[in-house]
Order: sequence, then C-alpha cells, then structure tokens
Amino acid sequence: MNGARVEFRGLRRRFGSTVALDGLDLTVEPGELIALLGPSGCGKTTALRCLAGFEQPDEGEVLVDGADITRVPANRRDAGMVFQSYSLFPNLNARDNVGFGMRVRKVPAARRHARAQELLELVGLPSVGDRYPHQLSGGQQQRVALARALALEPRVLLLDEPLSALDAKVRVTLREEIRRLQLSLGITTIFVTHDQEEALSMADRVAVLRDGRLEQVADPATLYDRPATPFVAEFVGAMNHLPGLVSGDGVTVLGQTLPVEGRAPGTARADVLVRPEAVLVTPVDASGAEGDGIVMVSSFRGSTARLRVRLSDGTEVLADVPGHDSARFAPGTAVRVGLVDRPVLVSARSETGAAAAVPEPDVV
Amino acid sequence: MASLTPQVTTQVTPGTVPGAAPAPAPSRPGRPRRPRVWRGVVLALAAVYFLVPLIASFVFTVKVPNQGFSLDAYGQIFSAEGFGGSLLLSLGLGVATIVLVLLLTLPAAVAVRLGAPRLRPVLEVVCTLPLVVPPITFVAGISTVLRWGPDYLASTPFYQTMIAVQNPDFPVVLVLAYVVLALPFAYRSLDAGLGAIDVRTLSEAARNLGASWPHVLLRVIIPNMRSAMASASFLTLALVLGEFTIARLLSFQTFPNWIYRISGSQAQVSVAVSVFSLLITWLLLLALSSAGARQRSGS
Amino acid sequence: MRDSRTRSKSRWAAVPLLVFVVIVFGVPMLVLLGGTFTKEGTLSTANLTESLQGAYLTALLGSVKISALVAVLGGVLGTFLAQAVVTSRSRTLREAVLTASGVLANFGGVPLAFAWIATLGNAGVVTTTLGLGGHGWSLYNFWGLTLVYLYFSIPLQVLTVVPALDGLRPQWREAAQNNGASTWQFWRYVGIPVLTPALLGGVVLLFGGAFSAYATAQAMVGSTVPLVTLKIADALTGNVLIGHENVALALSLDMIVVAGLVMAVYLPLQRRSARWLR
Repeated sequence: MNGARVEFRGLRRRFGSTVALDGLDLTVEPGELIALLGPSGCGKTTALRCLAGFEQPDEGEVLVDGADITRVPANRRDAGMVFQSYSLFPNLNARDNVGFGMRVRKVPAARRHARAQELLELVGLPSVGDRYPHQLSGGQQQRVALARALALEPRVLLLDEPLSALDAKVRVTLREEIRRLQLSLGITTIFVTHDQEEALSMADRVAVLRDGRLEQVADPATLYDRPATPFVAEFVGAMNHLPGLVSGDGVTVLGQTLPVEGRAPGTARADVLVRPEAVLVTPVDASGAEGDGIVMVSSFRGSTARLRVRLSDGTEVLADVPGHDSARFAPGTAVRVGLVDRPVLVSARSETGAAAAVPEPDVV
Repeated sequence: MASLTPQVTTQVTPGTVPGAAPAPAPSRPGRPRRPRVWRGVVLALAAVYFLVPLIASFVFTVKVPNQGFSLDAYGQIFSAEGFGGSLLLSLGLGVATIVLVLLLTLPAAVAVRLGAPRLRPVLEVVCTLPLVVPPITFVAGISTVLRWGPDYLASTPFYQTMIAVQNPDFPVVLVLAYVVLALPFAYRSLDAGLGAIDVRTLSEAARNLGASWPHVLLRVIIPNMRSAMASASFLTLALVLGEFTIARLLSFQTFPNWIYRISGSQAQVSVAVSVFSLLITWLLLLALSSAGARQRSGS
Repeated sequence: MRDSRTRSKSRWAAVPLLVFVVIVFGVPMLVLLGGTFTKEGTLSTANLTESLQGAYLTALLGSVKISALVAVLGGVLGTFLAQAVVTSRSRTLREAVLTASGVLANFGGVPLAFAWIATLGNAGVVTTTLGLGGHGWSLYNFWGLTLVYLYFSIPLQVLTVVPALDGLRPQWREAAQNNGASTWQFWRYVGIPVLTPALLGGVVLLFGGAFSAYATAQAMVGSTVPLVTLKIADALTGNVLIGHENVALALSLDMIVVAGLVMAVYLPLQRRSARWLR
C-alpha cells in the first residue's frame, strides 16, 4: 500500500461556545508520520475525527490525494483508525475483530481468516486469534486494534492517542513497533498525542496545535531547538524563564549578554527562555569565592541529573549536568551559574509572569 | 408481590442514582440530526400508561358522588380500625429484620473480603437461593414446619420455642423469614460498599497502628460503611413494609395485610392507602439514592 | 503466620449467617421436599402426579403463560423505552425516567392492584369516564392481569437494560463505521450480540417476577384467573380435600423447578454480560 497526501484546508469546527478548530491548515506528505501535539482541547482529536468522518467541519475541507472527502460518510472513507482504548468488539475474538471489515465486505471466511492471521503476525501476536478482548492485555488489545485498522489496506492510518491508556514500558515498545510498521508499509499516518516525548520520538514532523490553530509544524529537532513561538518552547521540553534586559545588541541575563533568536519584544524587561541543558553550573570550592546559587534538589536520570538551583535573588533555575557528575552537585552545594553562548528566545515579561518561572523538574 | 420486591430492588441502585451509569457518550452534534419521531411516540405512550393509573387513583379517592372534591378518604386512613397497630407491627418487624440482617451479613461480608475468598461462591449461592425460590413456596415450607413441629416436638423445649415465634403481637417467625428474603440485597450492597473502601488496606493500616480486630471492625470499617449500611437498611425496610404473601398466609396482621382486609369494606380508603404507600416507597427510594450519591461523592 | 491465623479466624465470621440460612431456609425446604413425596405417611409420588393434572396443571400452565407473555412484552417495550431515554440528550428526562422506574418497579403487591381497580375496574375512573363498561370491558381476566403486571415489569426492564445500553461504547460504533459497516451492520454484528445477554437477563427477571407474584393477583382477580400461586395459597389455607394437603407442597416444588430452570438460564448470561460491558 502506498501513502496518500492529506490536506486540511481552513478547517473550522465549533461545539456550542467552544471553538475546537479555528482555521486549521496542514498538509501531510505521502508516507509521512505526523504527530498532532497539543494540550487537551487544542483541537487535535477533532481534526483527526474530521478526517475519519466522525465529525463534520463547519467550514473548510479535507482532501486525500487531492479529492475532497469532506462529505463522504465515515464508512466509505479509506482511513483505518486506532482508538484510545476499549475499541475492540467484545463479542468477537481477535481474529474476527481483525476480519470485521472483510466480513462487512463479504470476503469469504477462509480468505478472511487467513488474512486476519497474517495481520496478527504482522503486529507480533500470531497466537491470540481465538482470544476475546477481555482475555488480552491492554497492549495486546491495541495491537489487535492496529491490525484491524490495517486490514482493509487503507491509504491513511489514524492513531487517536492509542498508547495513552498503557503502562509506561508497554508504551515505549509499542510506539517503536508502530513506527517500524509504518515505515515498512509506507503508509501516511496521523498520530494524535498530548505526550511530547511520544511525538518527538516517533514522528517525521510534529504539528503543535493551540486553540484550534497550527502553532508550528517542523521536524522534532527543529521544534526543540528553534521553537517558533514561546508557546511551543514551553510545551516541548522543559524551559527556564529567566528575567532579562533587552538592549540593542541582545539580551542581558545572569550577567551575560546573548544574541536574541527571532524577534525581540518591544519591552526592555523580558523573559529569557533557556533549556536546562543550556545552563552551565560549576561547583564552588570550599575555599573559593561565593557562588551564584545553591543546589536545592538533584534528581538523577541516568545519563543526566537535573538540578534545581536557587539563585541569590530567589529565582530558581533548572540545569542538567552529566549523570556521572551528579555526586558533585549534592543538595546544599554552592554553584556558579552561567549560560551557553547561543542565541536565546525572548518573550514579553507579562505573558508568563514570575509564577511560571520554573517548570516542574520531572518534565523532560 | 413480596416475591417481586427483592428482584426489583437490586436493580434500583444502578439505575436511579445519578452518576452510577458509565459516562454518557460524548455528544456528537456534528452528525446529521435525523428527526427521532419514534422516540417521541415511545415516550408519550409510556407517559400515558404510567401516569393515568396514578392520576386516576388520586381522582378515585377524592371524588365523592354528588359532592365533588373531598380529602375525607385520606383522613379516614388514620382513624380506620387497625391502621396504627398494623403499621407499628410492620415497622417493628422492619427494625428487627434490619438489625438481624446486618448482624449476620456484615461479619460474613468482611470475612469474605479479608481472609476467606473461598467462601465467596458459597455466599453467592446462599444469597441467590431466596431469589430462585418464590416466597409462596417458602411460606408453604414454613407453615408445614409450624403445623408439624408441635406434633413431633411436644415433649421437648423446642415446643415452647415454636409457640413463642408465632406470637401474634410480635411474630418472630416473620422476622426470620424476612431476613432470608432480605439477605441478597443486604449482602450485595454491603459487599459493594466494602469493595469501594478497600477494606484490606484499611484494616492492615489499622492493624499496623496497633488496633485489635474488634476495634478495626467498630472504629474503622463500620464508620466507612455507613452509606452502604443505610442502603441495605432502606432496601430491607421497603421489603418488609411491602411484604404480603408470607404475612397473609401465616395470618399475621401486618400493614399490607391490613390494606387488603379493609378493601372489602372501604374501597376509597384502601385506594387512598395505596397512594399513600406509593408515596412512602418513593420517599424511601429517594433517600436511598441520595445516600448512594453521597457515598460516591465521598469516595 | 499472621495471615493464616487471620484466615482461619475470619472464616468463623460467616458461620452465623450460614447456620441461620441452613435452619431458617433449609429446614422448610427439606420439609417441603419430604412432604411432597409423602402421602398418608408413606413414600409416594402421588402428590407430584396430582399437582401435574387437571386444575392444578391448568394453573401451573396459566402462570407460565402469563409470565412468559409479560416477560416478552415487558422486555420489548422496556427496551424501547430505555433506548428512547439513552439516546435522548436531556439529562433531566433521563434522571426522571430512571427514578420513576426505580419506584414503579417496586410498586407491586396489593396497592398496585387497587390503583388499577380504581382506574380500570368496574367502577374505575377511566372505565366510567369513557363508558368502557358498556363495551364489555373487564380488568379481571388474563389480559387485565397482564396489563397490570406490565406496570412494574416495564420499569424493571428499563433499569436492567439502561446500563447495558450505556455500556455500548461509542468507539464500537465508530470502529465499525471505520471498517466500512453501515448502521444496520453495526447492530447486526456488534450491537445486538453485545446487548443480548442483558436483554435476555432482563426478560428472565420479568418472568421470575410475574411467576412468583401473588398479592396483586389475589387482590385483583381472586381465583378467576388460574395461577399456581393462588392454588398454593388456597391449599395452604385449608381450601383442599382432606388428605390432599401436601399437594400445595408438590405445587411449590413444581414452581421451584420452573424458577430454577429459568435462573439457570439467567446466571451464565449475567456473567457474560458483565464481562463484556465492564
């Protein structure tokens, strides 16, 4: 099966007073896996459901390979979908679930069963054909649902947060497997998630949605390193907000003057957005001079350790240090704090406020 | 219709209590709206069928030939001979049944949850039997025992017991029979209540803090079970207040039996009592469902 | 160590309940069984034979007939009403219907009979208002009793079926559509099979309710409609030939067997439904 090109054009959809989609424009290239990422209520699921045919947009259209399918009934669209959870038919065993679409199309039983078996093997479950959904684990259920979605060889695969109900470990293995399968089949895939780690690790491109609009669409590395807007910067990865002063030649923060990435806000006082790995900390020797701050918390994560450092003016900063170095940064250690000399993103002070200065340390 | 009551009451809690049902499907206003004519027709027919008898009963009780409207029939309920006595008897039986059924089922339900899961199937069977066996067959057995018992036991102390349980002022035999009928509901609602509070963790925590087993039961489990116990009690009370078959066939003057007896002489009063008892059921069930709602919001 | 002590101890907590049931429930049932197979002091199946002949058989069949009719009619009508409530978007309507069903499903016994007598009896409000008496209307027959039994049976079916209808996940319908199924195909391959245990379970409950109903029938039709519960009550209150007292016990045994068979159908269904609609 070969991937199709999917286009959303000016999609608008409102539910009562809430606007779910506010003019969404997005093109998905053939064979691409694109992740729709955003907080709940950003419209990512609505966009997917418009493509599947479960939702009708108020305005705009959905095109698959150039053909407008906006008014095609859901049961005649060529898009396989995997739902969040519990979507397997409880009265049918795994084989009949996978073969459901073929049964509806009156494919003879023998061919149907053979094909269902092939698909179950494809998703790594060759021997569960006779089991009923309640006899399968959550991860197995989602694999069977994936096999069912692929059974009719759709041109587009839709995944609606299919991993969100699973254990962390299963989640990671299954997402790798979905990606492997998607690459080998070359099927255009749209993956809805609110988990940025999932989006960054699986997708060719990530589309960040906010309030029904596209905020940025880019490959994971670009999204992380050069977020187009403070919202994206905030949503993807952990971010420090440090008070800075904007001047003609850059922004001054923690005593360093750095170039500004993109456009600087009009105000002099601004928030400087810095990733924890761009914060440099060095322990102050017992004999040495005063430090800039003190390590409050250190959480070890294997290859790195994330420190929460309180500066003398009360500001808290997150900083990553190599994991093997973490012993030097026990809580209470006085440290000197600096920034990697690199262009930084700056946002107007008012937008986030001081309260949001420090994101939770367990955000990646 | 006592036979019916038990099977019915189990169904009450899931349906009546707001929030008990799984979350409703997300509304999908995007789907084209087909005119749902059939729904309107079904609802209208149901409204007629269910409301007309209620309205007609009320009209029947307040319509006096050649006089028009009068609430006399309701006034006469309270002055009718035997009303107070039979209502008090039924309430007394109800209270005794509640106490006994809770004393028997609570320890058993806790035991099954805590240490003896293998007893669960046994209790499930025990609590299904009264549903399978229609009350009239149960009373057939009881009356045979009461009839034969004295002949065989005349020379033993059991003879006096047999006589005592049939004291018409307070027929203990009815309490015993009603406990059997109430077991399924009491056990199920207590078991559900225990399931909601995770007795195992609670009691292990209490034991860890040095509490004795009786202390755990009295101070930890029971206070957390208040609404489940309330719902078991309400269901039992509703059952006892409505039970007719056993009381009539053993000839005890309980409230339902009294309603039946006066119907021959005073048609209007008996219908008035029927309306009245429907109101009581309604209130009991409202109390029950709000107790259930409180339990849920509490947990 | 502590665990096993707890275990053996906690088993004792269930003993009073079990002893109570064995005595209060078991003894009458044993006596019933013994009495059924005893005639004039000797072992005999004569009572059972007699209970399956003539007027007794008619009554037993009459009970089965009305219960089956009520179960099927109530099952179908109740399911339609439940579907109307579940698909309605009005939360108020839903709550109102469910609360009313909870009350009406418990509205049985003598008061129910009187409410209907006041409505459609010979002097009932609707009968006199519409002049039904002149058209040969009577509530006191098989069909009248069916009408009255439905009054608690339909709400009971609503209460049984609503959770099952709620349990039909929207994902199933969408997944079916996504696989190319039409609405009808969804119901045929998924919806109806998933609902069947709950629907049949409800029908069984209605059967049991109508089958064991005694008070309403006694207060309404006396003995004009042959029902097994009325026959048992008659026999128990001495309205029977000398030497035939044990026929009441035999009839009771017949009833238990019928009810037991019906329950044997119900319990496995219930289990399957619970598993599917978790």
